[in-house]
Amino acid sequence: MKLLVCVSKTPDTTTKIVFNAAGNELDTNGVQYIMNPYDEWYALVRALELKESPLGGSVTIINVGPDANDAIIRKGLAIGADEAVRINADPKSALNVAFQIAEYAKQGNFDMILLGKETIDYNGSEIGAMVAEFLDLPFISYASKLDTADGKTATIQRDIEGGIEVVEVATPFVLSAAKGLAEQRIPNMKGIMMAKSKPLNVLAPAPFDELSVPVHYDLPPAKASVRMIAPENMEELVRLLHEEAKVI
Amino acid sequence: MEQYVSSRNLRFVIHEMLNTAELQRFERFQGYDKESIDMALDAAKQLSDQYLYPFYREMDKNKAVYDNGTVKVHPCMRPGIKALAEGGWISAHDEFEVGGQQMPYTLLNACTFIFHAANANLSCHPFLTTGAANLIRNFGSPELNETYIPNLYNGDWQGTMALTEPQAGSSLSDITSSAEPVNGGEYYKIKGQKIYISGGDHDGVDNVVHLLLARIKGAPAGTKGISLFVVPKYRPEGDGLVFNDVTTAGIYGKMGQKGYVAAHLMLGEQHDDCRGYLVGQANAGLKYMFQMMNEARIGTGMVAAATASAAYYASLKYANERPQGRHPSNKDLTLPQVLIIEHADVRRMLLYQKAVVEGSIALLMLCSYYGDVSHQSTGEEAQNAHLLFELLTPIAKSYPSEWGIHAVSMGMQVLGGAGYTDDFPLEQHYRDIRVNAIYEGTTTIHGLDLLGRKLTMENGKAAMLLGQEIQKEVQTALTMPALAPYAEKLGKVGAGLQETLGKLVQTGMQEGPEVYLADATIFLEYFSYLVMGWMWLKQANLAQKALDAGQSGSEKLFYESKIQTCLYYFEYELPKATALKVTLNSSARVTLGTRPEVLV
Repeated sequence: MKLLVCVSKTPDTTTKIVFNAAGNELDTNGVQYIMNPYDEWYALVRALELKESPLGGSVTIINVGPDANDAIIRKGLAIGADEAVRINADPKSALNVAFQIAEYAKQGNFDMILLGKETIDYNGSEIGAMVAEFLDLPFISYASKLDTADGKTATIQRDIEGGIEVVEVATPFVLSAAKGLAEQRIPNMKGIMMAKSKPLNVLAPAPFDELSVPVHYDLPPAKASVRMIAPENMEELVRLLHEEAKVI
Repeated sequence: MEQYVSSRNLRFVIHEMLNTAELQRFERFQGYDKESIDMALDAAKQLSDQYLYPFYREMDKNKAVYDNGTVKVHPCMRPGIKALAEGGWISAHDEFEVGGQQMPYTLLNACTFIFHAANANLSCHPFLTTGAANLIRNFGSPELNETYIPNLYNGDWQGTMALTEPQAGSSLSDITSSAEPVNGGEYYKIKGQKIYISGGDHDGVDNVVHLLLARIKGAPAGTKGISLFVVPKYRPEGDGLVFNDVTTAGIYGKMGQKGYVAAHLMLGEQHDDCRGYLVGQANAGLKYMFQMMNEARIGTGMVAAATASAAYYASLKYANERPQGRHPSNKDLTLPQVLIIEHADVRRMLLYQKAVVEGSIALLMLCSYYGDVSHQSTGEEAQNAHLLFELLTPIAKSYPSEWGIHAVSMGMQVLGGAGYTDDFPLEQHYRDIRVNAIYEGTTTIHGLDLLGRKLTMENGKAAMLLGQEIQKEVQTALTMPALAPYAEKLGKVGAGLQETLGKLVQTGMQEGPEVYLADATIFLEYFSYLVMGWMWLKQANLAQKALDAGQSGSEKLFYESKIQTCLYYFEYELPKATALKVTLNSSARVTLGTRPEVLV
């Protein structure tokens, strides 16, 4: 099986988000980046498990971004991907990212294209559906289980509101991975040192005109500090909940 | 997940202070560029978050127990050790051919620091195995290597160092465990007892392999008659393992580190069938052990600094969440209370912890770097690095261990009454860190080592080299207006120490070694203030340059925090050196003159 896993770079979950003066870009100074956990822990690891199964195959990871993304791509190689591709672009929209991935995937004859259900920074959940649309492939979202006996047909479990849905789909298809699809793998030192010798091919982006660009970001209002109310002063608590918090 | 370590600070030390990627100039370390180093640090953190940190408190509350001859440890031990083995961490420093990754010690120790900060009760086990494996790798026969190394490196077997006996603790020349050759030395029958053996027995592994010191019958008395043996709990025979008559008599009820067993072992007591296998040459055991001792001492300093790190971040978090009291100028009780970090004295306690933790990390990593250079380089560079490593090891071991205790105590103080309860981890950190000033040579032993051996070796060349290194930082700081006053202060302390040492040597020559060494521990303390001042000036020089180059956001805060902690160190800590100088220059001979019977 030929498996393509789309990986994205996101700020570490502990990052304090600060925007530039214009408010239209993240201030990246001092930001620690990680591979988007849904891409890494679930999509990539499940792809590796399939490759390591008797079906065999190869796993290619793809990222659309500048060379600053190479570190997280190398991590994917350290975990076990065979090769990597970076489309050397600085996309401003999910549509551009999806377009670049689809352009590359068209030539690859991949059996499955996997990616996380969303990134933990912008939470768009758009790329998977867009890639499927560009490639005219089935798209299965929020997959929490993926099995295939022959590499031709897959049985996929999806988490839906209040339950689960099981679908069958023939390859090739696009899948977005949710929690449960696989278990996180931590790269070992051998993998880390071998990652340097695995191919990371940098390709020029296909021409694309952005249809939308972000113009401004706002942070949510700061959390108010905790107010301590004496236990015997329930009237004051009720008043504050009613007049200030406005929750009752 | 609570914070227990600063990845940013480790990167500062590894990349900005030491430029560890530059070690790639040595063939052994090729491939360890910045990207690989960062990936290794991230992997260590990820592993710690998953397998170590979540069980730190658990291992204390559900401590190791001795039950009918077996030692049961927390169930997290086995998967934790296996995760570290599969991650390649037990063998990371070793050759590619035996499954290692030829990792520089500088990087390995930075990663180990993360593991220890997360949960040293667990992480000490695999690194104890590394130490035992090192002895076999360096001095053992091919057969010993073939039999033991794969099982130690894959985490199935635990390695230990079995030195101490009931009548011989710091004084190893008095050990009496015996070894009698059988079949011309095919193996030796071992008899005796060993106490305080860390990781000496537990059910988190399938076997325990002791690197044990004993005397071959007829060997000379003292340290020249001590040999090193591999003594497994279960010895390989045929396709299986056979009990090797190593009995655990019990485990110690320790003040802290309750998940990390210290065992009392009986060798050959039950069946007279405990077999040991000689490592290297007969009677050379202590020499072999001591070749590994400096690394073990750095390791102890790491555990202490890492424990203090976890305590610092726990108290910092509390200080940023707990409202209590108001500013002295505010008498209006209708206004809300302020967070305790708003109080100057709480910030003092936090600064003290930060100064100890980050100063210790800088020194420990620098020593590791000197270790790498001394092993890989040649000629003068290797020799100088070796001398600096030797000279600084007593401080790198003792400073985090002794001052770390106070740092954790400060952390507990930040929490007030809450810090004394087991609702928070500070009380455990306090109990856990205490032993590091005793492990691997007490602080007294290191004081004697520093003053009696290290400062005088090769006619004081190591001290001269250190003086040159300190002078480099002083000169750099003198070019920066904000730091110049501190450069001058450090220069004065250095001159004062030189003068004091000269006087001590003179006194020693006139009045003998008892007088020269009587206050060796105080001298180590004095010397530590100078060395840590050097570490803080070094970090501040780099931070000031970074700030001058222009920073914003969290990066600006990071570098500002370095400068501020340096200022704290020079205004609050370094002046303490002056009092020690007075004590060391006194001719009162108080301790020597105190008759034992006066201590009633």
